[in-house]
Amino acid sequence: MAEKFEPRIVGFLCNWCSYAGADLAGTSKLKVPASLIPIRVMCSSRVDPVLIETAFLEGADGVLVAGCHPGDCHYDEGNYYTRRRFAVLKKVIEGLGLESDRLRLSWVSASEGQRFADVVNEFNDKIKKMGPSPVKKNKSL
Amino acid sequence: MERKIGVYICECGPNIAEKIDIDKVIDALLPIEDVTVVEKFKLLCSAEGKKYLEEQIKKQDLTHLVIAACSPTEHEKTFMEVCENSDLNPYLFQLANIREQCAWITEDKDEATKKAIRLVKAAIGRVRYHSSLEKKEIESNPDVLVIGGGIAGIEASLQLASSDRKVYLVEKNSSLGGLVTNFEKTFLGMKSASDVINRKINDINTNENIKIFTNSEVEEAIGFFGNFEVKIKRTDNENGSVEFDVGAIVLATGSTLFNPDKTPRYGYGKLDNVLTSLEFEKMNLSGKITLKNGKAPKSVAIIHCVGRDEKGYCSEICCMYSLKFARYLVDKIPNIKVTNFYSDLCIPGKTYQKFYDETKGNNVEFIRSFDVEIIKKDNQLNIRYKDENKVKKSLFADMVVLSPAIEPAIDASKVAEITGISQGEEGFFAEEHEKINPISTSTEGIYIVGCAQGPKNISDSVVQSQAAAGKILSSLVPGRKIEPEVKTSQISESFCIGCKTCISVCSYGAITFDEAKKISVVNEVICRGCGNCVAACPSGAASLKHSKFNQIYQEILEAVK
Amino acid sequence: MKGKNQNTDVLVIGAGIAGIEASLMLSKADRKVHLVEKTSYTGGNTIKFEEVFSNMECSTCMVAPRQQELLQDKNINLLTLTDVKEIKGSSGDFTVKIIKKARYVDMNNCIGCNACFEPCPVSLKNEFEEGLSDRKAIYVPCAGALPNVPMIDTDNCLRFKDKKCTACQEACMFEAIDYDQKDEKIELNVGAILVATGYNLFDSKKLNNYCYGKIDDVYTSMEFERLYASNGPTEGNIVLKNGKAPKSVAIIHCVGRDEKGYCSSVCCMYSLKFNHYLKSKIPEVKISEFYTDLCIPGKSHQKFYEKMKETKVNMIRASDIKVVKKDKDIAVEYRNEAGKKSMNSVDMVILAPAVEPKDDASKLAKALGINLDEYGFFKEENTDVSSVISSKTGIFIAGCAQGAKNIQDSVSQASAVVGKILSMSN
Repeated sequence: MAEKFEPRIVGFLCNWCSYAGADLAGTSKLKVPASLIPIRVMCSSRVDPVLIETAFLEGADGVLVAGCHPGDCHYDEGNYYTRRRFAVLKKVIEGLGLESDRLRLSWVSASEGQRFADVVNEFNDKIKKMGPSPVKKNKSL
Repeated sequence: MERKIGVYICECGPNIAEKIDIDKVIDALLPIEDVTVVEKFKLLCSAEGKKYLEEQIKKQDLTHLVIAACSPTEHEKTFMEVCENSDLNPYLFQLANIREQCAWITEDKDEATKKAIRLVKAAIGRVRYHSSLEKKEIESNPDVLVIGGGIAGIEASLQLASSDRKVYLVEKNSSLGGLVTNFEKTFLGMKSASDVINRKINDINTNENIKIFTNSEVEEAIGFFGNFEVKIKRTDNENGSVEFDVGAIVLATGSTLFNPDKTPRYGYGKLDNVLTSLEFEKMNLSGKITLKNGKAPKSVAIIHCVGRDEKGYCSEICCMYSLKFARYLVDKIPNIKVTNFYSDLCIPGKTYQKFYDETKGNNVEFIRSFDVEIIKKDNQLNIRYKDENKVKKSLFADMVVLSPAIEPAIDASKVAEITGISQGEEGFFAEEHEKINPISTSTEGIYIVGCAQGPKNISDSVVQSQAAAGKILSSLVPGRKIEPEVKTSQISESFCIGCKTCISVCSYGAITFDEAKKISVVNEVICRGCGNCVAACPSGAASLKHSKFNQIYQEILEAVK
Repeated sequence: MKGKNQNTDVLVIGAGIAGIEASLMLSKADRKVHLVEKTSYTGGNTIKFEEVFSNMECSTCMVAPRQQELLQDKNINLLTLTDVKEIKGSSGDFTVKIIKKARYVDMNNCIGCNACFEPCPVSLKNEFEEGLSDRKAIYVPCAGALPNVPMIDTDNCLRFKDKKCTACQEACMFEAIDYDQKDEKIELNVGAILVATGYNLFDSKKLNNYCYGKIDDVYTSMEFERLYASNGPTEGNIVLKNGKAPKSVAIIHCVGRDEKGYCSSVCCMYSLKFNHYLKSKIPEVKISEFYTDLCIPGKSHQKFYEKMKETKVNMIRASDIKVVKKDKDIAVEYRNEAGKKSMNSVDMVILAPAVEPKDDASKLAKALGINLDEYGFFKEENTDVSSVISSKTGIFIAGCAQGAKNIQDSVSQASAVVGKILSMSN
């Protein structure tokens, strides 16, 4: 019996913009896939490449990093660094044997509840099509 | 010590209770070893709910608290207070959002319940790794350094000084008053400028809480909000430097005019009787408006927007002071003809249009013009221009007054360097936020006012000075300690490799380098807790309190199960 | 020097961006603040904008943290649906009479789940959305409004028109709906007062040449802000009445400028912002801006203008503008820079009307005993030197209540008032 693939997506959301946008999606009763588990950080620039790699190595099928739109960062320039790190990370993910599309960076503002829902729905569909992550830590060890 | 985690699930009425099978969640959590109690409650944020939690914390002797309810933006603060009231460190608490980001985003009860279980387990996993964090308190000095003794600096000083707050006003020139001392009148009401500025200078001279240093400049200003060490020195070859401590600094260094030497098409410096607006103000103040030959001009041309293209911004006040000049001329020289050559009329204040309508008239003309050039023709000044239809025209005038763009003061860059403040591309000091924090800078405790921040008129400069006073008076209260951010970054001495990457990414200058130990050190008073340095650190030496790797790792583990 | 029995509490009238700034700053200085707001929500006009010039930052992201801080601040007594009726006394010792209208929803019990809206049988135009969408008789003005507690509009609620309807109360699981609430008469004692009541837009219906209200697809700037807003009536989709996206848009500056007699200072910049709004949703749209003088002072504003020019917006210096319906399109007739008669055919027109004081400014001025200027704005004591002091000692003014201005200047004035108040007690 084939088990239906339910993606596991880790979402790093920045407190000031994207986490608030995600909340607004909920307040507006929009449909957002339950596959995404949100992890709140103060700024998207906190999202260490190590955190992303750990997420994948622990078995995440997809990782979403969401922050404020460029220019709107609550901490001035944090999200510019996120953007730059992200570009390098895409390559690193490929080195782990993962499709780079499993890592996604999105800018979501506090008023963009619909956009958050759209981003997560789209990402979830994409991951579903891609199937489970080829890299999963051998849990029996 | 044995860990006792208390988990409380809020029903939030039907909002959570109807969307999530709470009993199933409770069943999933009970087996967890160090979870002492798992209970549900109708509405935890209510007065009863809070009382219940406080009682529970004491009764169950909890070491950690997990609440599954609404978003932290709603009630994280509420529940942290509950902890404090029950003598549980408020940081040994985690709020799992099972409402906005769980119950409310799906109609599938089964799906929501499964997700809720994962979210609460993540919170439990995380909270195990939380550490107690204490509020910090540091002493602060309420005194203020004001750099610049023009109208903005004077106003700020007057608003701030009091018996328990000294103000040190440093002015590089030999007297106070700045640019306003050169004006006869201010536009808007055409009031006496000297009345305005002299009154203020008198107030400041008689204020025993303001110490004035003329012929002086700041040599050093090191430290942080509440604790700056300042050194000033004389600019007039006299010896003696002075040192003192302050808690805040106001930069009121004013402006200078764009030098029309850079735009030779206006003939400035080459042709007689071509003046800048400041030169004209001074001439007018001296009592006689005359040409080089000693005679009064019969016609004056005022050229707006000189240097606007070169600088890339509109200097806001020139259209209005040009109107003021027209009034000076019309009032003092009978039958004078004044012609304004402008591109777009910038008169945004509520009474400005009226001033314009009343000034424009038979003798005062406004010509929208482009490509203005001043040459000498038939021994007279000739203004060549293109009108709105691009037709080439010209006009003779006895005198030409140029309205050059407003630039930051010549030594603005020096002051910026000494205080560690950024400048924008145009050279003005950079504010923290263009819209809602135009007076603050990214260095807490340093404020920018007046034309040092950007071109503006006297009224707006004064408002900014009063605003800076407001900021300082409300945040630097004599006798009150400063409570900086609790969840700051820290750098492990043993892991730091001295690469300084963290220093280069910090937007707030919160990290300094200890040359002796060759490691980076976080100033926890300045740190705002964004975590950028943590992500940038190649050796893992930097960590962010309450957002540590081992804490987030627990959330990741549950997220991927 | 003052000091004897001076009351240090402050009354702030208006919970828009200026009122919020002043209240938070005063609270930081441990002052007790009574923040009185006429409507049911905080944030004023600023929260109606999706983005602000010139960095195009999300307006909600900018204001929401402050609104949240306000709601949780123990020094700030927020009184929504409240009007100031009368004051007596003088600086340091004012007695203020206010009327707090009943919300009919208990703010402590209500958790903002919005379950009470759906069953309400009454539907009417939503004023916050500029009439572009509907609301119920029990409502919050928009998604994300703070405080997130609805109010009952008794002018339209069936129950308050003697019909027996309890639909909302039945839907509420928190016993938050209370039809028995009464308006409260409250007396406050404060030492200083700040008037930060904000602005309205000039009513474009007063001018026949723009056909506003007479033909479809002629919008005011505020209506257009709501069309672009992601929490607005069309979720941010810019569409015409017929549901299609516009192909060409005319933005007309200075509407009502001659009538009011002043330049409203912000319109050129927000009209350029609209250019950005339009291009971001409809890249192929053709835009023409009809202006008289471009008013873009400020170190960063010209740069923004240059950036907008690169999107090929057609900047037309025009006079004698007339908007008429022409077959399926809208014709904007005008005289161009050379004085020649011209016409542009568009399918949407956005008007930038003059910024005016609020309708009840004169009533409030009378209640406070302070002067208005000839334009109806609250009058500052000394134009040249202090634009935040009113004609009465102890009463201050900030933001657009004092004169049309942008957010930066409103916030600066609010901070300046705090500076004046805090230094008063020195």
